[in-house]
Amino acid sequence: MRNIAQMSMFAALVAVLGQLPAIPLAGGVPITLQTLGVMLAGAILGPWRGAGAIALLHLLVAAGLPLLSHGSGGLGVYAGPTAGFALGWIPGAFVVGLIVQASWPLRLWRTILGTVLGGILVVYACGLPVMAYQMGLGLDQAVLLNLAFLPGDAIKAAVAIAVTHSLLRAYPAPFSYARDRVRAASR
Amino acid sequence: MIPLYRAGDSLLHRMPVGPKFLVIFLAALAASLYRENLWVLLAIWATVLIGFICSGLGLGGFAAQLWRLKWLVVVLVIPQLIFLTPTEAGFNVSRVLAVVLLAALFTLTTATSEILGACERVLRPIDPQLQRVGLSAERISLALSLTIRSVPVILSFYADIREAQRARGMRPSPRATVMPLLVMSLRHAEETAEALAARGVR
Repeated sequence: MRNIAQMSMFAALVAVLGQLPAIPLAGGVPITLQTLGVMLAGAILGPWRGAGAIALLHLLVAAGLPLLSHGSGGLGVYAGPTAGFALGWIPGAFVVGLIVQASWPLRLWRTILGTVLGGILVVYACGLPVMAYQMGLGLDQAVLLNLAFLPGDAIKAAVAIAVTHSLLRAYPAPFSYARDRVRAASR
Repeated sequence: MIPLYRAGDSLLHRMPVGPKFLVIFLAALAASLYRENLWVLLAIWATVLIGFICSGLGLGGFAAQLWRLKWLVVVLVIPQLIFLTPTEAGFNVSRVLAVVLLAALFTLTTATSEILGACERVLRPIDPQLQRVGLSAERISLALSLTIRSVPVILSFYADIREAQRARGMRPSPRATVMPLLVMSLRHAEETAEALAARGVR
């Protein structure tokens, strides 16, 4: 029951992070903190619950609620060129959780590796081919286009890493995936 | 949180969720597979226009949806014109727009509750398989409704945090906002879990 409440809360948190006034990037394309929420979901809840939270969010978006960045939502999201990025959050959060929570206590290098690999690399690996196909571009051209978003994602990864380790000190209860793994291993 | 659904009583509104979804899915698939075919593209655009008129949203609703997609158009058009010829760019942009508008038509004419109900009906028969991996249709429904309920709760947490920051003359930074938001949300999840357990939900 606690797992369900935590996943629902995180799904809602990612939705809210997408609605907050965001940092306007040069060129007027707004970026939101939504992917920060994805990284945190994996890092804090672990792979299964983290990916589950994002999957919940996607179910509600597909059902017509405007929960993605700046009130976008509905089935149209999955028909557009950024569908791969949004769906890539699910494996992304999973990989973040898998690497970050591989040991207890958490190690900083693992948090950095997991957040960058899962939160940025996996998401781009899912998003770029879909975008290239939808827009009729080559993969290299799609990569070039998305370079503009990389600094923003790097900043979000840095915030996610800092927040994860602050939360570890302030409120360690939710990091149960890593703790339970260690407890099971020592038994 | 206002759903994107527009209430109405048109043919599209009354169509059952499953077939409506299937028609739109197949049309989108056709548009992606026959991407160079002008006739397929024109057929999709015709479907979109007829759909908007039949659904009672009219051309005004169509224009409103197009306006919602203004960012998408900008993001689509600029790189296309850099990398591709104008004809290719025109094809690609109009194809993506048509498919997105078609999908929007589904969202506009189907109530969220109806879609979630259809989801549950699909999940029910595979409940034994779901339970083998620790899920159940009931739990998924509970999680979905908890999520919907949590969005306004978290928004009110955010308002509290901003107010406290303003009182101290703090500038909002992502970290100083996300950190308390996380702790408050996770505590709230804990309380929700306890409240559910106290009511005998397992």
